[in-house]
Amino acid sequence: MFSSNSTSQNTLIVSLKIKLSKLLLQPTFLIGIVLVIILSYLVIAPIVSIFSNSVSLTMMDAMLSGGKDGEFTYKYIDRVFTSSISEKIFWIPLKNSITVSFFATLIALTLGLILASLVTSTNILGRKYLGFLLIIPYMLPSQAMATAWLTMFKNRKISGPQGMLESFGITPPDWLAYGPLPISICMALSYFPFAFLLFSSALSKIDIQLEEVASTFGAKTKAIWSKIILPLLIPTTMSVLLLTVARTLGTFATPYILGTPAKYTLLSTSLYSSVRSNDSGVVAVIAIVLSLIGLMLLLVDIWVVRKWQRFVTVGGKGIKRQPSKLGVFRMPTTIFAWIIFLIAALGPFIVLALSTLMREPGNFAFSNFGLAYWTGVNVPGMDQPGIFTSPEVITALKNSFLIAGSAALICGILGLLIGYAVVRLPGTLISGFLRQISFLPYLMPGLAFAAAYLSLFAVSRGPIPALYGSMSLLILVMVVTYLPYASRSGISAMMQVGPEPEEAGMVLGAGFWRRITTILAPLQKSALIIAIILPFITGMKELSLVVMLVTPGTELLTTQSIRFLDFGYTQLANATILIIGVVVMISVLILNRVTKTNLASGLGG
Amino acid sequence: MSEIKLKSIIKNFGGNSIAVDNLSETFPAGEFVCLLGPSGCGKTTTLRMIAGLETPDSGEIFYGDKTFFSSKTGELIKTENRNLGLMFQSYALWPHMTVYKNIIFGLEMQKKSLEEKEKRYLELEKLFHLENFRDRYPSELSGGQQQRVALARMLAIKPSLLLLDEPLSNLDSNLRLEMRSELKRLHHNLGCTIIFVTHDQMEAMTLATSIAVMNDGKIEQIDKPMEIYNNPKSLFVAKFVGSPQMNIVNSKKDEKLATCLSKKINIEKEKVKNFGIRPETMKMVKQDDGDINGTIETIQPTGADWIVGVNVYGKSLFLISSDPPIGKENDTVGIFFKPEDCHSFDNNDLRIIKN
Ligand SMILES: Nc1ncnc2c1ncn2[C@@H]1O[C@H](COP(=O)(O)OP(=O)(O)OP(=O)(O)O)[C@@H](O)[C@H]1O
Ligand SMILES: [Mg+2]
Repeated sequence: MFSSNSTSQNTLIVSLKIKLSKLLLQPTFLIGIVLVIILSYLVIAPIVSIFSNSVSLTMMDAMLSGGKDGEFTYKYIDRVFTSSISEKIFWIPLKNSITVSFFATLIALTLGLILASLVTSTNILGRKYLGFLLIIPYMLPSQAMATAWLTMFKNRKISGPQGMLESFGITPPDWLAYGPLPISICMALSYFPFAFLLFSSALSKIDIQLEEVASTFGAKTKAIWSKIILPLLIPTTMSVLLLTVARTLGTFATPYILGTPAKYTLLSTSLYSSVRSNDSGVVAVIAIVLSLIGLMLLLVDIWVVRKWQRFVTVGGKGIKRQPSKLGVFRMPTTIFAWIIFLIAALGPFIVLALSTLMREPGNFAFSNFGLAYWTGVNVPGMDQPGIFTSPEVITALKNSFLIAGSAALICGILGLLIGYAVVRLPGTLISGFLRQISFLPYLMPGLAFAAAYLSLFAVSRGPIPALYGSMSLLILVMVVTYLPYASRSGISAMMQVGPEPEEAGMVLGAGFWRRITTILAPLQKSALIIAIILPFITGMKELSLVVMLVTPGTELLTTQSIRFLDFGYTQLANATILIIGVVVMISVLILNRVTKTNLASGLGG
Repeated sequence: MSEIKLKSIIKNFGGNSIAVDNLSETFPAGEFVCLLGPSGCGKTTTLRMIAGLETPDSGEIFYGDKTFFSSKTGELIKTENRNLGLMFQSYALWPHMTVYKNIIFGLEMQKKSLEEKEKRYLELEKLFHLENFRDRYPSELSGGQQQRVALARMLAIKPSLLLLDEPLSNLDSNLRLEMRSELKRLHHNLGCTIIFVTHDQMEAMTLATSIAVMNDGKIEQIDKPMEIYNNPKSLFVAKFVGSPQMNIVNSKKDEKLATCLSKKINIEKEKVKNFGIRPETMKMVKQDDGDINGTIETIQPTGADWIVGVNVYGKSLFLISSDPPIGKENDTVGIFFKPEDCHSFDNNDLRIIKN
């Protein structure tokens, strides 16, 4: 038994001593604390700053209309919701956003469901290849579809080279060339691969015995689908729905390219023009609205998942469903699936590629083909060098690799570190806090986050210098935005390994760093590679997040393609997009080679 | 080689139940101690605290003259420096290292020369029949082979204290038998102290030089196996060790039987809450030849012997004997027991020691 003649002060010192030596024993604690500090700043500071921006007077407005810089004001909230320009900067864009999201989601969902059912469960021709080919649109940056559309359907309303149809003598009407219709279709075609992947994996998880039981009762294929499979897909459908809505709301490229000529504004493009006109209060308010919508969708998703949880079928012995025979429908459905592939994946590629190879659009004479847009020193009619000789493109290419590469590297390592700290310090405050905070950026659309970073790092604050115009700002914002995906996969990777391999090393005398380098790192090798390549892919395609943060020296391939479009150099823009597509596809191939997993598990940004 | 001493160890995982509750015990040097107890009683936690993978909330752990942990003085030696061998239930072999790499890992940490590593590996390879497995990965081994690799990896650094957490529970019964004798031989040859966790009492009885029976975070009794079996200090130990279980006769519920027992062993019935009789100590005799009569309810042959259920005053007693029962179901027979084989436990479920 303890003899308790020691004073309470003594016990305190002893317990502190134990705490300290435990702390030193377990660098995990230190890592956790360091992560908490870094993340608090990177995640919470921008959120705080955006909230404060929404209600404090800017210097410019202070000078124009009196009042003090930074003073509390409702001015921006009024401006967005009630002023005379509120229609133009908020209400109409909101209405347009909702319309476009609705139709895009509807189309994407339907396409995804139909194609997933066909590919997983029927004898449609070429189902083996379609499974991979149909997710190609995901690998193209979202502006690929939009620029391909523009290249095809553009009419004389805007400057630059002729559209392909126009050069055949057909003038597409405005409603087909610009505005809600093409935006909805392009977004749907860019995002249906998500629906396709999620539905495919849900379909393959449904326990086939459930269907077999039904067929012993004499149910026909049609009845099995309508009574068993489709109802079981309801939770997936809801998730796909909310995910797609969130994505369409945050997309910038498509409405910018196809909406601007028709003055058709969505919330994302309205936010962008407010940024361009330096209206930081309005930017903050719109960003908050976008985040709130994101938060609401997330809450609904959580609620739906919880409500339908008892619905989730566990099990599934991994037996593949026998593909059902389609009979007379086999040909029509096969044609349908391949046409979708053609329109959504192959088509844009061909259109983009053709446009960069033809001097004059629509002229298929052999002499009209050439590599001028690629290798030319001076492209005729544009007074611009070709892609490979353009200093801008080369800089952008370098920047893209550098920025997406460093962000991916940091993200991958940070994700695993967070996973390590969360899994190794279970039940502690640090663990819970890290888990929550690394998830927060998920709620904010990229545009809103970028706006927050813009206002936060435009000037120097404390020890951190003004980062606007530097690559580090772009890297930082990418890292933080992709953090939710990175930390989630880091946590699950660490969970899978468990503490025992490391403890076995501990018992045999391996110190912390030894354990990390000889045991943990090799065990997590493939997790680390995935954790780096996935954000790299997303980063290469990223536009909405970076479009308002780049400056002339820090252009990326994606933003450079937008610049080219702004100047009417459609072919150069298309060539740039093709480069992105090729880089992304090579990365995906590497990823497939390194891991046997498919993209579905990591589809994040 | 030294003894391991736990003093007032308390460990709470933050729930309202205590994983290890004020545990004080000394495990003598050179012993093969089995920690035996039901699931969740704190065996693994105790072992992990000795290994340093878990820190007690309070208490002290000594190994010889080394203080592994003390909440009094704040001393704490980290796992890496405790220099002991721990084997996990799941083996925890590193899947990315070959058998060779796994086994010599500890020596590598001690910066041993290549020759030394090679020499030790060859010794272990022979001891555990691991020839031909040198360059295989753990996933390419059978369960038993993996286990031998795990043992070899632990023994490579010649620890003087071995901690084994249910190392045999993943094996089929044949392999288990084989590994048991292997472990026993190992203990004999190496002469190290072993603490072995199991919830299989058969394993404990056959392997241990002493058994520590744990319940609810406490050690109820630590003794030589036969001592635990013959003189259980508490009702829990009596019930937990032995199969089929000891017959327990409650002096309230089975009053008639209890009165008979108390007379037989000459003890005041009021002092006793429960009596206990092991099934194999009772003898079945002809009606009226024994101490008491009963009716045969069930007869279960196990191959080697017979387990017979006999109803005495409404209470089912189980007997085990190597001879065929003298009656069949529903026959009335007599039962005979020796007074020294009857155990009695008081109101605190502690053994009553007769003078
Ligand atoms: N890391 C932990 N966090 C919370 N509770 C724990 C933890 N480890 C053990 N416990 C709890 O402590 C108690 C003792 O657990 P322990 O693992 O020592 O049991 P055990 O005797 O080894 O059981 P088993 O025979 O099932 O392995 C249990 O109630 C368990 O739930
Ligand atoms: Mg255990």
